[in-house]
Amino acid sequence: MSMKEEHIVELENVKKTFRDFWLRPTVAAVDSLSLTVRRGEVFGLLGPNGSGKSTTIKMILGLLAPSAGEVKLFGLSPRSIAARKKLGYLPELSYLHPFLTASETLRYYAGLCGLSRKEAASRTKELLEMVGLSDVASRPVGGFSKGMARRVALASSLIGKPELLILDEPTSGLDPISTKEVKTLVKALAAGGMTVLMTSHLLADAQDVCDRVMIVNHGRCVAEGNVAELETSLEEFFLAKVGDVQDFQLAPFLAAQNVTGKDK
Amino acid sequence: MKAFFAIFRLEFVSMVRSRALLLLALFALAWMFAVPYLITGDGTAEGAREISIRYGFGGVFVITLVSLLATASGSIARERAAKRLPLTMVRPVAYSLVVFAKAAALTLSGAIVLAIACLPALRMSVDGRWHSSAKCNHVLQPLLPSPREEACVMYEVYMKDPETPPEVKRAKRSTVLRLLEARAMDHYQTIPTNETVKWKFNVSGLPGARKAIMGEGDDLPSVRLRLSNMNEVRQDVCGYLSIGKIHAVVSNQTLAVLTFPLSPRSDGGAAEENILSFRNDGSGTSLMLRPRKDVALLVPADAFVWNLFRAWCELVSILALTISFGLFLSSALGRPVALFSAIVILAVSEASPGVISQYPDELETKLSDRIALTVTRFVAEATQPVSSLNPLERLSLDECIEVPEVCRVAAVNLFLLPVLLSLLSGIVLPRKQDEV
Repeated sequence: MSMKEEHIVELENVKKTFRDFWLRPTVAAVDSLSLTVRRGEVFGLLGPNGSGKSTTIKMILGLLAPSAGEVKLFGLSPRSIAARKKLGYLPELSYLHPFLTASETLRYYAGLCGLSRKEAASRTKELLEMVGLSDVASRPVGGFSKGMARRVALASSLIGKPELLILDEPTSGLDPISTKEVKTLVKALAAGGMTVLMTSHLLADAQDVCDRVMIVNHGRCVAEGNVAELETSLEEFFLAKVGDVQDFQLAPFLAAQNVTGKDK
Repeated sequence: MKAFFAIFRLEFVSMVRSRALLLLALFALAWMFAVPYLITGDGTAEGAREISIRYGFGGVFVITLVSLLATASGSIARERAAKRLPLTMVRPVAYSLVVFAKAAALTLSGAIVLAIACLPALRMSVDGRWHSSAKCNHVLQPLLPSPREEACVMYEVYMKDPETPPEVKRAKRSTVLRLLEARAMDHYQTIPTNETVKWKFNVSGLPGARKAIMGEGDDLPSVRLRLSNMNEVRQDVCGYLSIGKIHAVVSNQTLAVLTFPLSPRSDGGAAEENILSFRNDGSGTSLMLRPRKDVALLVPADAFVWNLFRAWCELVSILALTISFGLFLSSALGRPVALFSAIVILAVSEASPGVISQYPDELETKLSDRIALTVTRFVAEATQPVSSLNPLERLSLDECIEVPEVCRVAAVNLFLLPVLLSLLSGIVLPRKQDEV
């Protein structure tokens, strides 16, 4: 297998069923899902709310154990320390320790990644500069705006120089300029050889950065392919595959307001 | 180790920046200074010392223990609820190391608070208020067969006795032996008038003890006796105590816990160096005592400050084990359940020895009581590493907390059991995360 074809993430017929206290199955979040992420590519995991994206990501991270099937990260169990050494993760929300400063936050995660004090200091400085937070490095992150906290979280996911970066809604909470910069960053990281697995609701963003996407719905793969080979936009492709989900029942509300969906 | 220190530092910084450590330290100082004014003593230096240590230092310890247990039992559960725990769990660090580092940081916080509480206690010992207790004593007990051995002998006799009730004969051997063992601890010895009793001591393990018994050196041993008689009435005690080349004349002392300082014998004679003899010269009824509980040879040891340090080590060990247990609960349960369980287990473990000692014999109880007693006994045995330690009581009585005991307690409570609980937490942690 060439370097390009090396599989960084492998899921084979993975199922995840959540159970209640009495071990009765409640939700089948992921159902017979198989996917592979190759070294150096930007892979997008797309799907509507509740489709099983986050559960899949958590199984890849080793936070959830699959009910059936197999998950491999760098050919190892996701819970092995060797696999976790090569991993960076940005969750959907930032979840930072509010009493730590931005620089302390990065140094904390640097410590967890086993970086020496000197390495941690230089990497912290470099990453804070990269995300444009050098000026507020000594301010507690509890006082940061959502966008600033997001940038600290992004920097902390990169602190251990990971080979695989998992981004859960990376542009969530960012303004359009920061969103553009994050997309540029993801492309640059991929160009540097890093593998990126991301989820996003913003299909235009995914189209801009992803090499390959998988669309999941009800825990199952409904489509998979290279973005460059799509004949339509990703949004049209997505809607064609997932359909009109219609979680909202707007018609009665709009009728009461004397407007129609079309007018809107 | 870098990951360990990162988590350790985070937890400690959290204690500092949340001001929990500051509040505990201020409480410790304020309480230690306030207690002598809040609680009236008997006017003696010993009374003042006992109040300061038992109620002052003891109060600080209890508050620190409960607050750190609450912090520990909420620590991981709170991180999980705030969804910060996965960010640590996806890093290349063993889950048990996360728990152990947290335990170490919380233990350090507790150690700091207890050290701060030691400062007023230390000052009071140095400025002369406790001049009578500048030194602590090694406490030697008479060499006797173990209560278990005595119970086995009693059991054989008891079972052969035709007057033994049939329900006792039908009972399980282990149950009867346990009851007899408890009674052996309270086995009384009678000392008739004008008779002498002797108790053997092992002084070979204490450097300097033999020298002191032979009347050499400035600090001579004392003997502590707790005497009573058949009728539980006031009675004057007269007698003569001797061991090696030192002795004490006991004259007209009222029945109580009495400490007799020994002095060199004027006749220059010598008794056996490891045999303490007591002659009852009183004219009243026979005297009684429980050799296992009421006789002690007190051999001077080192200064109060060292005893305080050893008590601090034991208390920190107790904190470490309690915190580790709280963190284990926090790994396995949600925050409110973990906190509730921790407080209930702490309360039951404190109360269980008293319940067991005061409850009627198992043979006299109903089935439901026997079940409850079995559960209480299990809790008492499981929590014995903590509940059996009483460094503050011994500190207040000027009894030396022995170095080998401190080393053993530290090895078990500060290291071995916390490591074991951290390993268990490391197993439980991903399983609990799987439920989230």
